[in-house]
Amino acid sequence: MSSLNSENTNRKLTYAQAINEALSQAMGLSPDVIVLGQLVDYKPGVFGTTTGLVERYGSDRVQDFPVAESVMTFTGIGAALAGMRPVLVHQRLDFMMYSLDAIVNWLSLWRFKSNGQSSIPLTIRAIVGKGWGQGPQHSKSLHAWFAHLPGLRVAVPSTAYDAKGLLLESIFGEDPTIIIENRSLFSMTDLVPNIPYRVRFGHGTTRRTGTDITLVAIGMMVPVALRAAMQLAAESISVEVIDLRSVSPIDQNIIFDSVRKTKRLAVVDPGWQSVGVAAEVITLVCERLGDILATNPVRICLPDSHTPMSATLEAKYYSNDVSVANTIRTLFLR
Amino acid sequence: MVKLSHEAILKMAQCHSVSISGMDRKVVVELYRFMLRLRRCEEALIKEYHPADEMRCPIHFCIGQESVPAALSLLLEMEDYLFSHHRSHGYFLAKGPPMKLLFAELYGRETGANGGKAGSQDISMASANFYSGAILAGAMAIAVGVGLGIQLKCRPSVAVAGFGEGASDEGVFWEAINYAALRRLPVVFICENNLYATYSHQMKRQPADNISGRVAAFGVKSRTLFGNDVVAVYSAVAEAINHARNGHGPFFLETYTYRWNGHVGPEDDSHVSYRPKSEEEFWRANCPIALIEKEMVAAGLLTPEVRSAIIDEIDKEISEAFRFAKKSPFPSETDWIKLNYSTASPLADRLLCDSALPEFDQDQAETIPEPY
Repeated sequence: MSSLNSENTNRKLTYAQAINEALSQAMGLSPDVIVLGQLVDYKPGVFGTTTGLVERYGSDRVQDFPVAESVMTFTGIGAALAGMRPVLVHQRLDFMMYSLDAIVNWLSLWRFKSNGQSSIPLTIRAIVGKGWGQGPQHSKSLHAWFAHLPGLRVAVPSTAYDAKGLLLESIFGEDPTIIIENRSLFSMTDLVPNIPYRVRFGHGTTRRTGTDITLVAIGMMVPVALRAAMQLAAESISVEVIDLRSVSPIDQNIIFDSVRKTKRLAVVDPGWQSVGVAAEVITLVCERLGDILATNPVRICLPDSHTPMSATLEAKYYSNDVSVANTIRTLFLR
Repeated sequence: MVKLSHEAILKMAQCHSVSISGMDRKVVVELYRFMLRLRRCEEALIKEYHPADEMRCPIHFCIGQESVPAALSLLLEMEDYLFSHHRSHGYFLAKGPPMKLLFAELYGRETGANGGKAGSQDISMASANFYSGAILAGAMAIAVGVGLGIQLKCRPSVAVAGFGEGASDEGVFWEAINYAALRRLPVVFICENNLYATYSHQMKRQPADNISGRVAAFGVKSRTLFGNDVVAVYSAVAEAINHARNGHGPFFLETYTYRWNGHVGPEDDSHVSYRPKSEEEFWRANCPIALIEKEMVAAGLLTPEVRSAIIDEIDKEISEAFRFAKKSPFPSETDWIKLNYSTASPLADRLLCDSALPEFDQDQAETIPEPY
């Protein structure tokens, strides 16, 4: 479908409102779309993302699910098999760990083992907390784990615009998808068209153009990276910021094209450092363009530690625009 | 009445009797024919497994457990869904796909049910709504989700899941029972309780062997029965399917039965010494096929001529399936992305628009969560 310009109005919506609008429009577009998750039918609506849906679409399609994350995922798989387009909502990604068997042993390999006869168009929304002492059981971002699995698509949207477009693309696409949503972004606003539009997986975007270094950013680190780039611009370091949007698949070309120009690479990833997506991005670049790099690439990730509760430690645990700018600056010191 | 259990069954008369009186003769013959077909299919595969070593996948043979698949083969509609445990061959055949697609899959050929990607324990046939899997309770939990889809789409179908008693060791089993009961989903659960998870006896893993009793506590209609009486199994499965199909919610059947073979492969695993000889002998003496055969002969439904005609027909199908499998090409596709991901999204193409990306305002404060 081409874009409907006449009906296309951009309004400022928060990240949470954009998700809500995507769900509501998807349910309006197809009676097969259902939303399952704990507390999805109460007024707070999982931080505002499901508020109002049950009033519009009824309690069969918007189901407060038992605290049984494992069978919730299996239910989503089965319902998709019977022709539905289910969306599962995990208020905290950490609780979703009960459904790892469903995700790893069934969902991810379903299409493969059926030899392409059968696919599972299931969308799993998983929210990652940050701040106010969320601590080690409310703040894990496991996008690297899921990106490691063949058969899944994994997105980490950074803006309200992307949150809506990636969610719609996922609901009406054919592959199982995990969308990791950073809670710290939920109140940030962005211009969001009111039409049901798509953001494709594997299509990163250049959020800021620059010539001296490519800074690949993921999820909640995108605004941080952009602010760091602003600071560095004042010091005549021109940073190109690429938002990966989806970590499976990864848009390799947008990274390669940028690094060919800048010859430097840094990655800011809201996950742990070791064996993560940042390492994957750097490997991709080194394998293809290692000989043109002017400096060693650098990863800016979470330390290889669980999240502390205490605010003072929390502040040291997470990177911010100042610390990201400091790290990048060192690449230009001679 | 004595509560049915494996222990109680062993204490019963050495030979259980099956009653076919009042049964439609055609149904009896078809149940018998299916069981014999499945038995001879498994025996033929066992015979061919090692000499040639061309079936290079784990196979869990189901000799001794023919009753449930036989009943399902007569009672399921095309639109119904069937989920199987890893001992899958009977369930595959019960849903109707030709035997040769099973054999070609076991031989890892392009023409197999899944083009040689799945093998025996993961075989499926989407066009027949047939699926299986090896990680015990997962398949029955997916059946519950299918039940939700059927219910929301107001279809007259049911989802049936067969599994062993080992599946009820796993937590998601109980989550699935709870959710099916909560939503009154059209799902039939059939537990083929064969007493052992690989070598492990049920009473080493569970405090009581009567799973249906625990399931009944969720408000799910449940029945236990002697699983080698195919006539009783047929009647119970028919009742369960009607119950679910007519909107009365899930139904749980526990059929006490026994696998004759080792857990996996054609080898005898008795060197592990995990089950007593007398127990094996009891169950072999209560062969589901022999039990009904005896009644059919007595009722004049089966003569030696009829029996050999049935066997000839089955054996012809089996040799044709071997021939088909062995002459089929091996798969060659190695575009791994294509094998794991879809290449088109027709629904998204139809429903969604493209749109221009607006500029994002980076200077916004992060959300600080409230205490909740």
